[in-house]
Amino acid sequence: MKCTPTKIIFLLCVLTFLSLPESGIAGLSATDTTALHTRKWDKRVHLKYQRWEKLKPTHVKLQYAGGMGMFAVGAGWDYGKRCQWETDFLWGFLPKRYAGGKTRSTFTVKQNYIPWSVSINEQWAIEPFYCGLYMTTITGDEFWKKEPGKYPNKYYNFSTKIRPYIFIGQRFGFNPSHSLLRNISAYYEISTCELYLISKATNRYIRMKDILRLSFGIRMQLFRKR
Amino acid sequence: MNICNGSVFALAMSSCLAFLSAGCDMIEYHPYDLDINGETGINDKNIRRIESSLAGRKSISFAVISDTQRWYDETEDAVEAINSRNDIDFVIHTGDLSDFGLKLEFEKQRDILNRLVVPYVCLLGNHDCLATGEQVFSHIFGKENFSFTAGNVHFVCLNTNALEYNYTTAVPDFSFLKSEQDNFPAHAEKTVVAMHAGPYSEQFNNNVADFFEESITRFPSLQFCVYGHGHNVSVDEFFNDGILYYECASAKKRSYLHFTINENDYTYEVYSY
Repeated sequence: MKCTPTKIIFLLCVLTFLSLPESGIAGLSATDTTALHTRKWDKRVHLKYQRWEKLKPTHVKLQYAGGMGMFAVGAGWDYGKRCQWETDFLWGFLPKRYAGGKTRSTFTVKQNYIPWSVSINEQWAIEPFYCGLYMTTITGDEFWKKEPGKYPNKYYNFSTKIRPYIFIGQRFGFNPSHSLLRNISAYYEISTCELYLISKATNRYIRMKDILRLSFGIRMQLFRKR
Repeated sequence: MNICNGSVFALAMSSCLAFLSAGCDMIEYHPYDLDINGETGINDKNIRRIESSLAGRKSISFAVISDTQRWYDETEDAVEAINSRNDIDFVIHTGDLSDFGLKLEFEKQRDILNRLVVPYVCLLGNHDCLATGEQVFSHIFGKENFSFTAGNVHFVCLNTNALEYNYTTAVPDFSFLKSEQDNFPAHAEKTVVAMHAGPYSEQFNNNVADFFEESITRFPSLQFCVYGHGHNVSVDEFFNDGILYYECASAKKRSYLHFTINENDYTYEVYSY
Protein backbone atom coordinates (compact mmCIF):
# COMPACT_ATOMS: atom_id res chain seq x y z
CA MET A 1 0.00 0.00 0.00
CA LYS A 2 1.34 3.37 -0.99
CA CYS A 3 1.28 5.76 1.93
CA THR A 4 0.46 9.19 0.49
CA PRO A 5 0.17 12.32 2.64
CA THR A 6 -3.57 12.46 1.93
CA LYS A 7 -4.01 9.02 3.46
CA ILE A 8 -2.02 9.92 6.53
CA ILE A 9 -4.10 13.07 6.98
CA PHE A 10 -7.25 11.01 6.62
CA LEU A 11 -6.01 8.63 9.30
CA LEU A 12 -5.21 11.55 11.57
CA CYS A 13 -8.75 12.89 11.10
CA VAL A 14 -10.15 9.50 12.06
CA LEU A 15 -7.96 9.42 15.16
CA THR A 16 -9.03 12.91 16.15
CA PHE A 17 -12.68 11.94 15.72
CA LEU A 18 -12.20 8.82 17.84
CA SER A 19 -10.66 10.83 20.61
CA LEU A 20 -13.55 13.29 20.93
CA PRO A 21 -14.94 12.97 24.48
CA GLU A 22 -18.52 12.86 23.15
CA SER A 23 -17.70 9.93 20.90
CA GLY A 24 -19.48 6.75 21.90
CA ILE A 25 -16.46 4.55 21.20
CA ALA A 26 -14.36 6.49 23.68
CA GLY A 27 -17.00 5.83 26.33
CA LEU A 28 -16.37 2.09 26.07
CA SER A 29 -12.74 2.44 26.97
CA ALA A 30 -11.00 1.85 30.23
CA THR A 31 -10.93 4.74 32.66
CA ASP A 32 -8.25 7.33 32.13
CA THR A 33 -5.57 7.53 34.69
CA THR A 34 -4.28 11.02 34.83
CA ALA A 35 -0.90 11.54 36.33
CA LEU A 36 -0.49 14.97 37.74
CA HIS A 37 3.08 16.07 38.07
CA THR A 38 2.84 19.15 40.15
CA ARG A 39 6.14 20.86 40.66
CA LYS A 40 6.76 24.18 42.18
CA TRP A 41 7.17 25.94 38.86
CA ASP A 42 6.27 23.35 36.24
CA LYS A 43 2.56 22.51 36.25
CA ARG A 44 2.32 20.73 32.93
CA VAL A 45 -0.20 17.92 32.97
CA HIS A 46 0.35 14.64 31.25
CA LEU A 47 -2.67 12.56 30.40
CA LYS A 48 -1.62 8.97 30.75
CA TYR A 49 -3.89 7.00 28.52
CA GLN A 50 -4.15 3.23 28.64
CA ARG A 51 -3.64 0.81 25.75
CA TRP A 52 -5.18 1.87 22.40
CA GLU A 53 -6.21 5.21 23.83
CA LYS A 54 -2.58 6.20 23.64
CA LEU A 55 -3.31 6.80 19.96
CA LYS A 56 -5.38 9.85 20.88
CA PRO A 57 -3.56 13.03 19.91
CA THR A 58 -2.95 15.21 22.95
CA HIS A 59 -3.01 18.50 21.06
CA VAL A 60 -3.64 20.24 17.75
CA LYS A 61 -1.47 22.94 16.18
CA LEU A 62 -1.75 25.71 13.65
CA GLN A 63 1.49 27.13 12.30
CA TYR A 64 2.11 30.14 10.10
CA ALA A 65 5.20 30.12 7.78
CA GLY A 66 8.46 28.31 8.53
CA GLY A 67 8.94 26.53 5.19
CA MET A 68 5.83 24.33 5.52
CA GLY A 69 3.53 26.50 3.43
CA MET A 70 1.54 29.56 4.40
CA PHE A 71 -0.44 27.77 7.11
CA ALA A 72 -0.07 24.25 8.40
CA VAL A 73 -2.46 22.40 10.67
CA GLY A 74 -2.05 19.11 12.44
CA ALA A 75 -2.16 17.03 15.56
CA GLY A 76 0.46 15.56 17.82
CA TRP A 77 1.35 13.71 20.95
CA ASP A 78 3.21 14.82 24.05
CA TYR A 79 5.07 12.28 26.13
CA GLY A 80 7.82 11.92 28.69
CA LYS A 81 7.68 12.37 32.45
CA ARG A 82 7.23 16.13 32.21
CA CYS A 83 5.61 16.26 28.74
CA GLN A 84 8.97 17.42 27.51
CA TRP A 85 8.64 15.65 24.15
CA GLU A 86 6.15 16.41 21.41
CA THR A 87 5.75 14.85 17.97
CA ASP A 88 3.49 16.56 15.45
CA PHE A 89 2.17 15.72 12.00
CA LEU A 90 1.20 18.80 10.03
CA TRP A 91 -0.47 19.39 6.68
CA GLY A 92 0.13 22.75 5.07
CA PHE A 93 -0.62 24.59 1.87
CA LEU A 94 1.24 27.04 -0.34
CA PRO A 95 -1.26 29.28 -2.19
CA LYS A 96 -0.95 29.33 -5.97
CA ARG A 97 0.27 32.91 -6.16
CA TYR A 98 3.42 31.79 -4.33
CA ALA A 99 3.72 28.50 -6.16
CA GLY A 100 3.54 29.32 -9.87
CA GLY A 101 -0.20 29.04 -10.52
CA LYS A 102 -0.94 25.82 -8.67
CA THR A 103 -1.64 25.39 -4.95
CA ARG A 104 0.87 23.04 -3.32
CA SER A 105 0.45 20.89 -0.24
CA THR A 106 3.14 20.24 2.32
CA PHE A 107 3.44 17.48 4.85
CA THR A 108 5.65 17.86 7.91
CA VAL A 109 6.83 15.63 10.74
CA LYS A 110 8.03 17.72 13.65
CA GLN A 111 9.88 16.72 16.79
CA ASN A 112 9.98 19.17 19.72
CA TYR A 113 11.99 19.07 22.95
CA ILE A 114 10.54 21.40 25.60
CA PRO A 115 12.80 21.07 28.65
CA TRP A 116 11.24 23.70 30.92
CA SER A 117 7.88 25.18 31.77
CA VAL A 118 7.66 28.01 34.27
CA SER A 119 4.25 28.64 35.86
CA ILE A 120 3.50 32.24 36.62
CA ASN A 121 0.21 31.41 38.34
CA GLU A 122 -2.52 28.78 38.00
CA GLN A 123 -3.43 30.07 34.57
CA TRP A 124 -0.32 31.35 32.89
CA ALA A 125 2.94 29.58 32.06
CA ILE A 126 6.00 30.25 29.92
CA GLU A 127 8.09 27.69 28.14
CA PRO A 128 11.19 29.88 27.87
CA PHE A 129 13.16 27.71 25.47
CA TYR A 130 12.49 24.75 23.29
CA CYS A 131 14.09 23.29 20.21
CA GLY A 132 13.69 20.57 17.65
CA LEU A 133 13.73 19.58 14.05
CA TYR A 134 11.29 18.87 11.28
CA MET A 135 11.22 17.35 7.84
CA THR A 136 8.89 18.88 5.32
CA THR A 137 7.90 17.63 1.88
CA ILE A 138 5.95 19.39 -0.87
CA THR A 139 3.71 18.22 -3.72
CA GLY A 140 4.39 19.07 -7.37
CA ASP A 141 6.13 17.45 -10.34
CA GLU A 142 8.98 19.96 -10.30
CA PHE A 143 10.19 18.58 -6.95
CA TRP A 144 11.90 15.23 -6.65
CA LYS A 145 12.94 13.15 -3.67
CA LYS A 146 15.59 11.30 -5.64
CA GLU A 147 17.17 12.53 -8.86
CA PRO A 148 15.20 11.31 -11.88
CA GLY A 149 16.94 8.58 -13.87
CA LYS A 150 17.79 10.90 -16.77
CA TYR A 151 20.68 12.41 -14.81
CA PRO A 152 24.13 10.84 -14.57
CA ASN A 153 24.69 9.21 -11.18
CA LYS A 154 24.85 11.72 -8.27
CA TYR A 155 24.53 14.67 -10.65
CA TYR A 156 22.91 17.08 -8.19
CA ASN A 157 23.16 14.94 -5.09
CA PHE A 158 20.37 16.49 -3.00
CA SER A 159 16.57 16.44 -2.84
CA THR A 160 14.43 19.38 -3.93
CA LYS A 161 11.34 17.82 -2.32
CA ILE A 162 12.39 17.05 1.25
CA ARG A 163 13.80 19.81 3.46
CA PRO A 164 15.08 19.20 6.99
CA TYR A 165 14.84 22.16 9.37
CA ILE A 166 16.18 22.91 12.83
CA PHE A 167 14.58 25.44 15.14
CA ILE A 168 14.47 27.09 18.56
CA GLY A 169 11.42 28.77 20.04
CA GLN A 170 9.44 30.10 22.99
CA ARG A 171 5.88 29.40 24.09
CA PHE A 172 3.37 31.28 26.20
CA GLY A 173 0.55 29.19 27.63
CA PHE A 174 -2.83 29.83 29.20
CA ASN A 175 -5.16 27.40 31.03
CA PRO A 176 -8.70 28.68 30.54
CA SER A 177 -10.25 26.10 32.98
CA HIS A 178 -12.70 25.10 30.28
CA SER A 179 -14.12 21.61 29.85
CA LEU A 180 -13.03 21.26 26.22
CA LEU A 181 -9.95 23.44 26.00
CA ARG A 182 -7.34 22.40 28.54
CA ASN A 183 -4.53 24.68 27.48
CA ILE A 184 -3.83 27.12 24.70
CA SER A 185 -0.37 28.42 23.94
CA ALA A 186 1.11 30.73 21.36
CA TYR A 187 4.60 30.12 20.08
CA TYR A 188 7.20 31.54 17.77
CA GLU A 189 10.19 29.77 16.29
CA ILE A 190 13.39 30.71 14.53
CA SER A 191 14.40 28.07 12.03
CA THR A 192 16.69 27.32 9.12
CA CYS A 193 17.06 24.50 6.63
CA GLU A 194 20.12 22.49 5.67
CA LEU A 195 20.65 24.15 2.26
CA TYR A 196 20.75 27.57 3.93
CA LEU A 197 23.29 26.34 6.49
CA ILE A 198 25.48 24.90 3.71
CA SER A 199 25.35 28.26 1.90
CA LYS A 200 26.23 30.17 5.06
CA ALA A 201 29.07 27.85 6.07
CA THR A 202 31.27 28.66 3.08
CA ASN A 203 30.50 32.37 2.57
CA ARG A 204 31.19 35.46 4.66
CA TYR A 205 28.68 37.26 2.46
CA ILE A 206 25.73 35.20 3.75
CA ARG A 207 24.69 36.56 7.15
CA MET A 208 22.65 34.90 9.87
CA LYS A 209 19.71 37.21 9.09
CA ASP A 210 19.73 35.89 5.50
CA ILE A 211 19.18 32.29 6.55
CA LEU A 212 17.04 32.54 9.72
CA ARG A 213 13.29 32.22 9.28
CA LEU A 214 10.49 33.25 11.61
CA SER A 215 7.28 31.32 12.18
CA PHE A 216 4.33 31.58 14.55
CA GLY A 217 1.80 29.12 15.83
CA ILE A 218 -0.90 28.12 18.26
CA ARG A 219 -1.07 24.85 20.17
CA MET A 220 -4.26 23.69 21.81
CA GLN A 221 -4.60 20.85 24.29
CA LEU A 222 -8.17 19.98 23.64
CA PHE A 223 -9.29 17.39 26.12
CA ARG A 224 -9.50 18.26 29.73
CA LYS A 225 -8.93 15.44 32.18
CA ARG A 226 -12.11 13.86 33.36
CA MET B 1 11.29 68.01 27.18
CA ASN B 2 8.85 67.73 24.28
CA ILE B 3 11.68 67.39 21.81
CA CYS B 4 13.19 64.67 23.97
CA ASN B 5 9.88 62.80 24.13
CA GLY B 6 9.45 63.24 20.39
CA SER B 7 12.86 61.81 19.62
CA VAL B 8 12.31 58.88 22.00
CA PHE B 9 8.99 58.21 20.31
CA ALA B 10 10.60 58.47 16.85
CA LEU B 11 13.37 56.12 17.93
CA ALA B 12 10.86 53.64 19.32
CA MET B 13 8.79 53.82 16.15
CA SER B 14 11.76 53.44 13.85
CA SER B 15 13.12 50.48 15.81
CA CYS B 16 9.62 48.98 15.67
CA LEU B 17 9.55 49.44 11.89
CA ALA B 18 13.06 48.03 11.55
CA PHE B 19 11.99 44.99 13.57
CA LEU B 20 8.83 44.60 11.46
CA SER B 21 10.67 44.84 8.15
CA ALA B 22 13.38 42.43 9.36
CA GLY B 23 10.64 40.13 10.62
CA CYS B 24 8.83 40.26 7.29
CA ASP B 25 12.01 39.29 5.44
CA MET B 26 12.36 36.36 7.82
CA ILE B 27 8.86 35.04 7.18
CA GLU B 28 9.04 32.49 4.40
CA TYR B 29 6.36 30.05 3.31
CA HIS B 30 8.73 27.76 1.45
CA PRO B 31 12.35 28.04 0.24
CA TYR B 32 11.08 27.33 -3.29
CA ASP B 33 8.13 29.75 -3.20
CA LEU B 34 7.84 32.65 -5.66
CA ASP B 35 7.51 35.43 -3.09
CA ILE B 36 10.42 37.38 -4.56
CA ASN B 37 12.05 40.27 -2.73
CA GLY B 38 13.62 43.19 -4.57
CA GLU B 39 14.31 44.04 -8.18
CA THR B 40 12.91 41.99 -11.08
CA GLY B 41 13.19 42.19 -14.89
CA ILE B 42 16.96 42.81 -14.76
CA ASN B 43 17.89 41.62 -18.27
CA ASP B 44 15.40 43.84 -20.09
CA LYS B 45 16.45 46.94 -18.15
CA ASN B 46 20.15 46.26 -18.64
CA ILE B 47 19.72 45.46 -22.35
CA ARG B 48 18.17 48.92 -22.81
CA ARG B 49 21.20 50.43 -21.04
CA ILE B 50 23.67 48.43 -23.17
CA GLU B 51 21.90 49.20 -26.46
CA SER B 52 21.55 52.92 -25.80
CA SER B 53 25.07 53.51 -24.43
CA LEU B 54 26.84 51.55 -27.20
CA ALA B 55 24.69 52.58 -30.18
CA GLY B 56 26.84 53.41 -33.22
CA ARG B 57 30.07 52.01 -31.72
CA LYS B 58 32.33 49.86 -33.95
CA SER B 59 34.41 48.58 -31.04
CA ILE B 60 33.03 47.03 -27.87
CA SER B 61 34.50 45.40 -24.80
CA PHE B 62 32.78 42.95 -22.44
CA ALA B 63 33.53 40.51 -19.63
CA VAL B 64 32.15 36.98 -19.20
CA ILE B 65 31.56 35.42 -15.77
CA SER B 66 29.89 32.10 -15.12
CA ASP B 67 28.89 29.47 -12.58
CA THR B 68 28.88 31.70 -9.52
CA GLN B 69 26.62 29.28 -7.62
CA ARG B 70 27.21 29.23 -3.86
CA TRP B 71 30.47 31.17 -4.32
CA TYR B 72 29.15 34.48 -3.07
CA ASP B 73 32.45 35.79 -1.71
CA GLU B 74 34.20 34.97 -5.01
CA THR B 75 31.36 36.61 -6.96
CA GLU B 76 31.81 39.75 -4.87
CA ASP B 77 35.51 39.72 -5.73
CA ALA B 78 34.70 39.32 -9.44
CA VAL B 79 32.37 42.33 -9.29
CA GLU B 80 35.05 44.34 -7.52
CA ALA B 81 37.70 43.32 -10.07
CA ILE B 82 35.47 44.31 -12.99
CA ASN B 83 34.48 47.59 -11.31
CA SER B 84 38.13 48.49 -10.72
CA ARG B 85 38.74 48.91 -14.45
CA ASN B 86 37.00 51.28 -16.84
CA ASP B 87 37.42 49.59 -20.23
CA ILE B 88 34.52 47.12 -19.94
CA ASP B 89 31.15 48.08 -21.43
CA PHE B 90 29.01 45.27 -20.01
CA VAL B 91 29.10 41.79 -18.44
CA ILE B 92 27.56 38.50 -19.58
CA HIS B 93 26.89 35.83 -16.92
CA THR B 94 26.60 32.48 -18.72
CA GLY B 95 24.40 30.79 -16.12
CA ASP B 96 24.29 28.82 -12.86
CA LEU B 97 23.62 31.63 -10.43
CA SER B 98 22.09 29.12 -8.06
CA ASP B 99 23.25 25.74 -6.82
CA PHE B 100 19.93 24.37 -5.53
CA GLY B 101 17.44 26.53 -7.49
CA LEU B 102 16.47 28.32 -4.24
CA LYS B 103 14.84 31.75 -4.41
CA LEU B 104 17.31 33.07 -1.84
CA GLU B 105 20.26 32.19 -4.09
CA PHE B 106 18.92 34.20 -7.04
CA GLU B 107 18.14 37.18 -4.79
CA LYS B 108 21.59 37.18 -3.23
CA GLN B 109 23.40 36.76 -6.56
CA ARG B 110 21.33 39.61 -8.02
CA ASP B 111 22.21 41.84 -5.07
CA ILE B 112 25.93 41.22 -5.63
CA LEU B 113 25.78 41.60 -9.44
CA ASN B 114 23.75 44.82 -9.04
CA ARG B 115 26.91 46.38 -7.61
CA LEU B 116 28.47 46.19 -11.08
CA VAL B 117 28.95 49.69 -12.44
CA VAL B 118 28.29 48.44 -15.99
CA PRO B 119 25.07 46.68 -17.05
CA TYR B 120 24.95 42.87 -17.06
CA VAL B 121 22.75 40.09 -18.42
CA CYS B 122 22.30 36.56 -17.06
CA LEU B 123 21.71 33.32 -18.95
CA LEU B 124 19.84 30.31 -17.59
CA GLY B 125 22.09 27.54 -16.24
CA ASN B 126 21.11 23.93 -15.56
CA HIS B 127 21.16 24.43 -11.75
CA ASP B 128 18.87 27.44 -12.26
CA CYS B 129 16.24 25.06 -13.66
CA LEU B 130 15.88 23.02 -10.45
CA ALA B 131 12.45 22.96 -8.77
CA THR B 132 10.92 26.45 -9.19
CA GLY B 133 14.30 27.96 -10.11
CA GLU B 134 13.41 28.65 -13.73
CA GLN B 135 10.32 30.63 -12.68
CA VAL B 136 12.35 32.63 -10.16
CA PHE B 137 15.01 33.22 -12.83
CA SER B 138 12.44 34.45 -15.34
CA HIS B 139 10.96 36.87 -12.76
CA ILE B 140 14.27 38.29 -11.58
CA PHE B 141 16.31 38.15 -14.81
CA GLY B 142 14.15 37.36 -17.84
CA LYS B 143 13.62 34.97 -20.74
CA GLU B 144 15.59 31.75 -21.31
CA ASN B 145 16.38 32.81 -24.91
CA PHE B 146 17.06 36.46 -25.65
CA SER B 147 19.22 38.73 -27.74
CA PHE B 148 20.55 42.27 -27.76
CA THR B 149 22.77 44.45 -29.91
CA ALA B 150 25.84 46.14 -28.46
CA GLY B 151 27.31 48.58 -30.99
CA ASN B 152 27.50 46.62 -34.23
CA VAL B 153 27.51 43.17 -32.58
CA HIS B 154 24.36 41.14 -32.09
CA PHE B 155 24.47 38.83 -29.04
CA VAL B 156 22.29 35.71 -29.14
CA CYS B 157 21.84 34.15 -25.68
CA LEU B 158 20.50 30.61 -25.62
CA ASN B 159 19.14 28.05 -23.19
CA THR B 160 21.13 24.87 -23.99
CA ASN B 161 20.26 22.86 -20.85
CA ALA B 162 18.42 20.15 -22.78
CA LEU B 163 18.81 17.49 -20.07
CA GLU B 164 16.54 19.54 -17.77
CA TYR B 165 13.60 19.55 -20.18
CA ASN B 166 12.36 16.09 -21.28
CA TYR B 167 11.47 17.36 -24.78
CA THR B 168 8.65 19.54 -23.39
CA THR B 169 10.58 22.64 -24.49
CA ALA B 170 12.74 22.99 -27.59
CA VAL B 171 16.33 23.19 -26.30
CA PRO B 172 18.13 24.70 -28.13
CA ASP B 173 15.19 26.51 -29.69
CA PHE B 174 15.76 26.47 -33.44
CA SER B 175 12.64 28.50 -34.16
CA PHE B 176 14.09 31.23 -31.93
CA LEU B 177 17.36 31.07 -33.91
CA LYS B 178 15.42 31.24 -37.18
CA SER B 179 13.43 34.29 -36.06
CA GLU B 180 16.66 35.93 -34.86
CA GLN B 181 18.14 35.42 -38.32
CA ASP B 182 15.01 36.62 -40.09
CA ASN B 183 14.83 39.73 -37.92
CA PHE B 184 18.55 40.44 -37.66
CA PRO B 185 18.97 44.13 -36.73
CA ALA B 186 19.90 46.31 -39.70
CA HIS B 187 22.63 48.17 -37.79
CA ALA B 188 24.34 44.97 -36.59
CA GLU B 189 27.19 43.45 -38.61
CA LYS B 190 28.57 40.69 -36.41
CA THR B 191 27.23 37.98 -34.11
CA VAL B 192 28.32 36.37 -30.83
CA VAL B 193 26.44 33.36 -29.44
CA ALA B 194 26.35 32.78 -25.66
CA MET B 195 25.06 29.70 -23.86
CA HIS B 196 25.45 27.85 -20.56
CA ALA B 197 26.28 24.28 -21.60
CA GLY B 198 28.50 23.94 -24.65
CA PRO B 199 28.08 21.36 -27.44
CA TYR B 200 29.03 17.79 -26.45
CA SER B 201 28.55 18.39 -22.74
CA GLU B 202 26.08 16.04 -21.01
CA GLN B 203 23.48 18.84 -20.81
CA PHE B 204 23.53 19.64 -24.54
CA ASN B 205 21.20 17.90 -26.98
CA ASN B 206 24.11 16.31 -28.85
CA ASN B 207 21.83 14.60 -31.33
CA VAL B 208 21.33 18.01 -32.95
CA ALA B 209 24.87 19.37 -32.37
CA ASP B 210 25.68 19.41 -36.12
CA PHE B 211 22.36 21.02 -36.93
CA PHE B 212 23.05 23.59 -34.19
CA GLU B 213 26.42 24.38 -35.78
CA GLU B 214 24.79 24.76 -39.19
CA SER B 215 22.11 26.98 -37.71
CA ILE B 216 24.34 29.40 -35.77
CA THR B 217 26.91 29.74 -38.56
CA ARG B 218 24.13 31.24 -40.70
CA PHE B 219 24.31 34.38 -38.53
CA PRO B 220 26.15 37.28 -40.21
CA SER B 221 29.86 37.22 -39.41
CA LEU B 222 29.72 34.91 -36.38
CA GLN B 223 32.77 35.83 -34.28
CA PHE B 224 32.87 33.14 -31.59
CA CYS B 225 30.75 31.47 -28.89
CA VAL B 226 31.01 31.82 -25.11
CA TYR B 227 29.74 29.32 -22.54
CA GLY B 228 30.22 28.04 -19.00
CA HIS B 229 29.08 24.91 -17.17
CA GLY B 230 32.46 23.07 -17.20
CA HIS B 231 33.96 25.27 -14.44
CA ASN B 232 37.25 25.62 -16.34
CA VAL B 233 38.82 27.89 -18.90
CA SER B 234 39.09 26.27 -22.32
CA VAL B 235 39.11 27.15 -26.01
CA ASP B 236 37.78 24.61 -28.52
CA GLU B 237 36.85 24.49 -32.13
CA PHE B 238 34.12 21.88 -31.81
CA PHE B 239 33.06 21.61 -35.45
CA ASN B 240 36.15 22.36 -37.61
CA ASP B 241 34.36 25.39 -38.98
CA GLY B 242 36.72 28.10 -37.68
CA ILE B 243 34.33 29.06 -34.86
CA LEU B 244 35.99 29.04 -31.45
CA TYR B 245 34.08 28.22 -28.27
CA TYR B 246 35.44 30.01 -25.20
CA GLU B 247 34.61 28.42 -21.87
CA CYS B 248 34.52 30.64 -18.77
CA ALA B 249 35.60 29.18 -15.43
CA SER B 250 33.41 29.06 -12.31
CA ALA B 251 33.73 31.79 -9.68
CA LYS B 252 35.62 29.30 -7.50
CA LYS B 253 38.52 29.43 -9.97
CA ARG B 254 38.53 33.22 -9.61
CA SER B 255 38.88 34.26 -13.21
CA TYR B 256 36.80 36.01 -15.84
CA LEU B 257 37.10 36.37 -19.61
CA HIS B 258 37.52 39.71 -21.32
CA PHE B 259 36.78 40.25 -25.01
CA THR B 260 37.28 43.33 -27.14
CA ILE B 261 35.67 43.22 -30.58
CA ASN B 262 37.33 45.78 -32.86
CA GLU B 263 36.46 46.79 -36.40
CA ASN B 264 38.63 44.08 -38.01
CA ASP B 265 39.50 41.63 -35.23
CA TYR B 266 38.89 40.72 -31.61
CA THR B 267 41.06 40.06 -28.55
CA TYR B 268 40.55 37.55 -25.77
CA GLU B 269 42.12 37.56 -22.30
CA VAL B 270 41.68 35.60 -19.08
CA TYR B 271 41.88 37.72 -15.92
CA SER B 272 42.45 36.28 -12.49
CA TYR B 273 41.19 38.10 -9.41
